[in-house]
Order: sequence, then C-alpha cells, then structure tokens
Amino acid sequence: MIGQAVLPTPELVFEPLLPELVLVVFAMAGLLYEALAKRTEAVVHLSIGLVGVVLAGGTSLWLWDWDGPATVLGDAVSADRFAVLARLLLLVVAALGLLLGHQYFARSGDEQRGEFTPLLLFATSGMTLIVASADLILTFLALEILSLALYVLTGLTGRRAANEAAMKYFLLGAFSSAFFLYGVAMAYGATGTTKIAAMALALTGTGEAQALAVLGFALLAVGFAFKVSAAPFHMWTPDVYQGAPTPITAFMSAATKVAAFGALIRVLDVAFQALAWDWAPVVWGLAAASVVIGSILAIAQTNVKRMLAYSSIAHAGFILTGLTAAGSAGIRAAMFYLVAYAAMTVGAFGTVMVVSGRGEKRTRIGDYTGLARTNPIAAALMTLFLLSLAGIPPTAGFIAKVNVFSAAIDAGYWVLALIGVVTSVAAAFFYLRVIVLMYMQEPEPAAPSLTEKVGIGAENSATAILAIPAAATLLLGVFPGVIVGIIRDASVLRW
Amino acid sequence: MDWLDWLLLVARIVLVFFGLLISVLLYIWFERKVIADLQTRKGPMRAGPRGILVTLADGIKLFFKEGIVPTNADRRVYLLAPVLAMFPGFLAFSTIPFGTGTTLFGRKIPFQLVDLDIGILWVLAMTSIAVYGVVLAGWASGSNYPLLGAVRSTAQMISYEVAMGLSLVAVLMYSGHLSFSEIVAAQDRVWNVVPMFPAFVVYLICGIAETNRPPFDLAEAETELVAGFHTEYSGITFAMFFLGEYVSTVTVAAIGVTLFLGGWRGPAPDFLPALWPFLWFLLKVTLVIYLFVLIRGTLPRVRYDRLMAFGWKVLIPFGLVWVLITGAIVVLPAELELDRGTVLTWAAIALGATLLLSFLPIGRSQRREEVPR
Amino acid sequence: MTAQEYAFAVIAAVGSISAIAVVTARNVVHAALYLVVALLSVGATFLLLGAEFAGWVQILIYVGAIVILFLFGLMLTKAPIGRDTLDNTHRWVGLLVAAGVFAGLAFLIQDAFPLDAEPFEVFHGSTSVVGESMFRDFVLPFEAISFLLLAALIGAIVLARKDEGN
Repeated sequence: MIGQAVLPTPELVFEPLLPELVLVVFAMAGLLYEALAKRTEAVVHLSIGLVGVVLAGGTSLWLWDWDGPATVLGDAVSADRFAVLARLLLLVVAALGLLLGHQYFARSGDEQRGEFTPLLLFATSGMTLIVASADLILTFLALEILSLALYVLTGLTGRRAANEAAMKYFLLGAFSSAFFLYGVAMAYGATGTTKIAAMALALTGTGEAQALAVLGFALLAVGFAFKVSAAPFHMWTPDVYQGAPTPITAFMSAATKVAAFGALIRVLDVAFQALAWDWAPVVWGLAAASVVIGSILAIAQTNVKRMLAYSSIAHAGFILTGLTAAGSAGIRAAMFYLVAYAAMTVGAFGTVMVVSGRGEKRTRIGDYTGLARTNPIAAALMTLFLLSLAGIPPTAGFIAKVNVFSAAIDAGYWVLALIGVVTSVAAAFFYLRVIVLMYMQEPEPAAPSLTEKVGIGAENSATAILAIPAAATLLLGVFPGVIVGIIRDASVLRW
Repeated sequence: MDWLDWLLLVARIVLVFFGLLISVLLYIWFERKVIADLQTRKGPMRAGPRGILVTLADGIKLFFKEGIVPTNADRRVYLLAPVLAMFPGFLAFSTIPFGTGTTLFGRKIPFQLVDLDIGILWVLAMTSIAVYGVVLAGWASGSNYPLLGAVRSTAQMISYEVAMGLSLVAVLMYSGHLSFSEIVAAQDRVWNVVPMFPAFVVYLICGIAETNRPPFDLAEAETELVAGFHTEYSGITFAMFFLGEYVSTVTVAAIGVTLFLGGWRGPAPDFLPALWPFLWFLLKVTLVIYLFVLIRGTLPRVRYDRLMAFGWKVLIPFGLVWVLITGAIVVLPAELELDRGTVLTWAAIALGATLLLSFLPIGRSQRREEVPR
Repeated sequence: MTAQEYAFAVIAAVGSISAIAVVTARNVVHAALYLVVALLSVGATFLLLGAEFAGWVQILIYVGAIVILFLFGLMLTKAPIGRDTLDNTHRWVGLLVAAGVFAGLAFLIQDAFPLDAEPFEVFHGSTSVVGESMFRDFVLPFEAISFLLLAALIGAIVLARKDEGN
C-alpha cells in the first residue's frame, strides 16, 4: 500500500496552453538570471522577455489551426481563434511594453529593476490565460495573476506617486476581486457549475430569468467593469495611470482592457447568452456612463497622463457600446476596437514617455506647448495617436467607432449610439487642444528641461519603437480590410 | 452508539488526559535529572524517592500562589491566553494511536481517542492554534518585554510551522494517507524513518522550535527579555503555560514516533497482546524526549537572526527539495518494479552525502559572516 | 429537529453573534479574536455537513494562519491597538450596506432553496474525493494558484525590499 498511484490521470491536452507555459518559463528564467548572475545586464533581461513573448506568439499562431477539442484540461481552456487573436494582440502589447520599459529605465534615471521583465511576463501570462479561460474559477485566478503583477509594476520605481498609485490600485482591485468572486459563487449557486459551457447549457431553456444567475452576472460585471475601468467603477484609473511609470501605464492601459474584455466577451456571449435580455441593459448603462463621464472629466485635466486615463474610460464605454450587440456582430466590433485602441493608446503613452524626460517631470499639458519645434517627430506621433483617439479619419479610431456604433444600432440601441457620437464630438475638444498647443504656440523659453536630452540615441530608439503602433494606427485606418477577415474568423467562440 | 460506548469514550478521554498530565510530571523530573547528570549535579532529591515528586510539589506551590493581573493588562485576553497555550497540546494528542487496542465488554476499544480521516491536518491546525497563546499573552500583558517576546516567538513558530508542514507532506505523500492509524499500518515492514530520514531531521528541528524549547527558546531568552511572553504571569496561569509547553513537547515526540518510528510497532511476545504495543510506544516516546533533553543540555541558544535565517534559508528549501524528490519517486511508473522505499532510502543517502560534501571547505574562500543590521 | 439541526442552530448563533461582535468590538485584537470564533463556526458548519477536509482546512488556514498574521502585523507595525481607534463616521453607511446585502442574500437564498424544497443529500466528502476532484477537474486552476502565489511572493519581495544604498 505504499506510494500507490491510484488516481487515473485525465487525458491532458496541454497544447492550447502552450503560450502561457512559454511565458511562465521565461518569467522564471528572468528571475533565475536576476538571482544567480553576479552582474545583470538590462539587455539580457530584455532579450529573455522578448524571446519569451515571440515564442509565445509563435505557439499562439500555431493554435490558429488547432483542430483538437474545443476546450481542454477539464473544459477549463478554450482553444478557439478568438483566444488566439486576443493572445497575439496581448503579446504585441507586451513586447512594446518591454521595449518601452527598457528605454524608460535606461533613460529615466530610475534604477533598472530585474523584476520588471518577469513581472511583466507574469502579467502577460495572466492576460493570455484569461482570454482563453472557459472556467470562471480559472478566469478569477488569471485575473488575480495579472492584477497582482500589475499592482507591483505600478509601484516598481518606488517613487511616492507610484507607491500611492500601487496602493490605491491594490486596495480597490482587491475589493473588485471580491465582487467578482462573489459573482462566481452566485453563478455557481444558480447553475451548479463554474464552466462557462456548462453554465450556458444550464441557463438555456429555463424560461424566466433566475434571480441568482442575474445577481451573479451583476457581481461579475462589477469585477469586469473595474478591470476595464468602466464608469462608475473607474475611480482608480486616473490616479493609477498617472502615478505608474509611463511604459507600464502604456502596457496596462492597453493590455488589461484587451484581457478583461476578452474574458467579459466569453462570459456575456457564452455563459450568460441565454440571459442576453437581462444583461444588455447593464452593459448599456455601463457604456453610457463611461463615455459620458470619461469624456467630460477629461476636458478638465491638466496632466496628459490623467487626460489619457479619462480618455481610456471613455474608450471602455465605446467598446461596451459594441458589446450591447450580442453574439458575433458585437464581438467583431469590440475586437476591432480593441486592436485599434491597443495601438493608439500604447502609442500615446509611449509618446508621453518620450516627452516626459527624466523622472517624468514633463507630463503637464502645458509642457507640450510648441513641441513641434523642439521635437517634431514626437509631436507628429502624438498628433496621429490623438487624432485616432478622437476618432477622426483616416485613423484606426474612426473605423473602430463606426463599427461599434453600427453594431449598437443594428441591435436596436440607437440612443446609446447617439450618446456615443455626441460625446465623441465633445471629446475631440481636449484631444485637439493638445495638438493646437503643440503646433500653434511657441515653446516657453524658460523650460530648461526641453533641451535636456539623455542622448540622442536613446531618444531615437524610443521613438523608433513607436513606429509600430503608429503604422498600425494608420494602416487600420486606411485599409481596415487587412484585419476584418481575421477578426471575422476569430469572432466565433467555440465551446 | 449506546450509553456504554459513550461511557467508554469518556473513560478514554479522562485516561488520556491524566496520562498526559502524569507523563508531564515525570518528564519534567526526568529532564531535570538528566540535565543535572550532564552537569554532574544530583538534581532534585527531596520530594519523593530520588525527587520524583518534585514537579508535583512545584505544581502545588504554583497553584497556591497569588495570581496577579497587571494593571495595564487586558484582563479577559490575559486570562484566555494560558488556556489557549495549554489545550492544543492535549487536543493534538487525541488523534495519536498509542497501541493496537483491546476488547472489552465485547467491544473493540482502540487505543486512540478519535481516528480522524485527516489526522495530520488536525495536528497542523492545533500547532497553529498554539501560537495564539503566545501572541495573546504577549499583547495582553500590556508591557514591552512580553510584547517583544511574543513577536519573536510568533515569527519563529510561523516560520518553523512551514518547514514542519513540508516534512509532514513528504511523509503523507510517501504513505498515501492522512490518518495516523493508516500511517502506522503502512509501516509494517520498514519504519518511515529509514526512507524518510531527511523529513525526520526537519521534523525534529521544527518540533523543538515549535515548542519553544532550547536551543530555540528565544521567546523567553531570559538574558534579553526577562522571561519573554510570560514575564507577567505568575501562579496558576504561569503553571498553565509551563504545562502547555511540556504537553506540546510530549505530543511532538508522540507524533514523531507515530509518523517516523513505526508508532506502537515492535516485537511482542504472545501474552497480553494489548500491552506490548503500548509499552513500545512509551519507550519510543521516552527515547525521543531523551534526545530533546540531551539537545537542551548541550547546545547553546541560537541568535535570533540566525534562527530565522536557518528556518527560511535552510530548512524550508531543504524540506521543499525533499518533497520534490519524494513526489518524483512516488509517481515512478509501476513498470520499473522498483521498491519506492528502497529508492527513497538511496535518495536520502545521496542527499545527505551531497550536503556533507558541500560543507567541506574545498575550493571555497572563507566567506565573511553577514553582519545583522 | 434532528441532532444535526440543533447543532447547526447553536453553531449559527455563535457564529452570527461573534460576527457582529467583530464589527462592534472597540479593540482590534478583540475583534480579531471574535473573528476567530466566527471562522471556527464556519469550519464547524463544514464539519456538520460532512465535509471534514474542507472544515479542517478552513480552520487551519483562516484561524491558524490568516488571523495570526493579522495579529502579528498589528504588533509589528505598532498600529494603534487601543480603544476607540476603530470608529469612524461611516458606520451608518456600513450598516446600511450590510443590511442591504443581508436582505438581498436572504431573499435570493430562500428563493433558490425554498424551505419546503426537497432536502439535499448530504455529501460526505472524504479526503480522497476532494483530492480526486481537485486533481482531475480542477488541475489547471490548482496549477494557476501556484503561479498566482509566486507572483504575489515576488511582488511582496519587490515592494518590501530596500535597495542597497537607499
């Protein structure tokens, strides 16, 4: 009776989990390198991170043609193309985050922290896991993995503002996680399962809505709304986006939204699809509140990072607008918006990083006065990203907005679309204000930090990184067709 | 269960309780005698033959002393703490089988209070509850030395609990059971101490640290902290701490015997089949306690930062490595037809040899001692 | 009522009273001790339902580890642990929210499991059943938890560590 292996092992099909495994392995490699090497080089950390991300991307691509079972590992992981596309998007954002972070630590004067790469990879693995998760327990765990890593990344530099931001993020995040978990418990109470496929089956054909299931969904929605920073659960966003080191803000503003929306889409369109009539008003309300609050409050901001944070709240609202349309139409609109949003927001924050200089001294909107003279490339990039965020053609933001509005109108929510259009116009004001400052006014002569440069090489390579999101923003605006087919393939959830 | 079952259960509870009390009385006398012997003294001689009743006399003295509650103390918590310190030791003992059992009035009477399905978890729960006594005593006394002692002691107990848990995990992975009676039953051929020797060592060290015994008695380091967390206690409340500590020691020894030394197993002649296992159990527990006493009598107290460093940087990694090795060997494919105990024994020997080699000063410069800040 | 129901009544009463005492206690350490009693009653409820493993793990983790760490943290950080440091002006809001949550939950639970419904068969979850379920149906969440803990551990170290020279 000694050491018997009585447990019959379930069939382990782990290939659909390869991207996460790769990321975790490289995160650990980074940790070991930091722990064991006598002298650590930032470049080695960067290479470990990039190789991990690229390999994870390669395995994700390979999964595009996966013909195995739709869900594996005890129905906990989906192997559909939706997961692949969301993963690829996340991995691109992660690679940009790594590159920007490397530049940031090289030039900001903050000490390079060996934990940066592993933590970012951990956050990414949580994000890629959550978009593939088909089990609410796993969704919760992935949400926690990405959140914990992000809390720490936020406070990584140990500056006062960063620490405060990390603390706020952590406290409110823990609170929202509790809501989420309670929602999982309620949903389990209503359906007797945490697997979203089984949940969908349990809820189909029940006829009338079950109070427990609706409450469960409401609590889950609170958790998701917090993570995507949708109003009225957006309170943390401005403080955290402002306080966190800018490359990390760039990473998390884009990647967290992709991840949380990916998971939300599965919950809405698989688990609770039978209750679409019950959840649509909730999504409607969140969307309307987010676009209005985000756009109006952004006008009053004097700090660029804070302004972009409010803008990201508004964009969460636009994505939710698309999601009011249940099923594939809503997923297509939301996915396109996420791709466009990821490109333009990473780009915008990346430009802020380039402009802000050592110790992030120059993040006020006033600091952008006359930027076109002092740093024309940065000014041009910023203009492109801001135009796209405002939704002005020929940028990705325009096409994305058209998509979500038409999805909402097709689903019959034209009031919401109207609110979106009106707030978009209002929002254009504060984006254009920055552009006007950059191009139409002379730089303040008394600003000494304008001329302070850490080295032309570092400046240029940081700008070079931003060519990627800039190209994507333009390309998607001019030829949106390049990605429409892919998104159509990916918009079918398999379960 | 009818009334007779209940009666027998109550009888067993009472017997175990008083048995433990008596064993503590004897153990304290035994400890004082052995230490006296180590120091070429005679030890207690007055009360009873060769001083065997000395603890009883001490107990009576403490019982009649005035119990003082300090002015600053939080009265209720102050009085609750010694109770919490005393009972976990007794409760943890309740799952340990101390014999094969016998038949009385046509019923089978196991020599074990309750055979919990999850004995090891129960023991871990009890050891962690024992920490409350220390924390609360230190806090409720309303004075600085006890608070410091409590903080130290809590940190120590929490840290060593982790390593102890790891050693227990290895044993339960190897034997495939959480219940003590099953674990003893699984040791019918070889005692666990042979294949599980590394876990045994970790367990013993952690057991000493968990019970705050020297050389890990930092909680009451009298040279630094007067008497640590129980500085303010006197009379009966102090006696309860004292008793709790010694009961815990007996329990730790008994658990060690059960998990590693075959429990009540031993060669037995044919007559009185119920007696011999019990005697074997007693003998083994006494030997383990003798080891504890010898350690106390010979080793100096460890400095606090080294204590924590040892726990976190040596014991826990070591425990983890052993859990890893055990796990790997336990799931070896059956086709290999290897005896897992044998493989584990060799693995233990290899691990020990590696450790010994790493201690040899070969090709290693003298590293400077880290100075605590 | 069966013996089990009597036992549940006692446990529930003790748990509820101590839960209320947690929030009304004027002293953090007392509140923590009431929390211990409340958590013990939760563990006891599990035991009553035959879920031995879950019950003991509940006690081991919450009582044995988490509350101990609360107390330890209180002592280490020299947080104000005297009287009257816990109160604030939001207590009525808190009471309102708690009452609302209670009402909502009570309604939902009686809606989902009416009193006259068929009683559930008590699930006697032996340890091996729990283990099989964990390593067969929930093997991936189980692994994910270890990465979660690893990330938390690294995070805690990063935030707590003082760099040399600072």
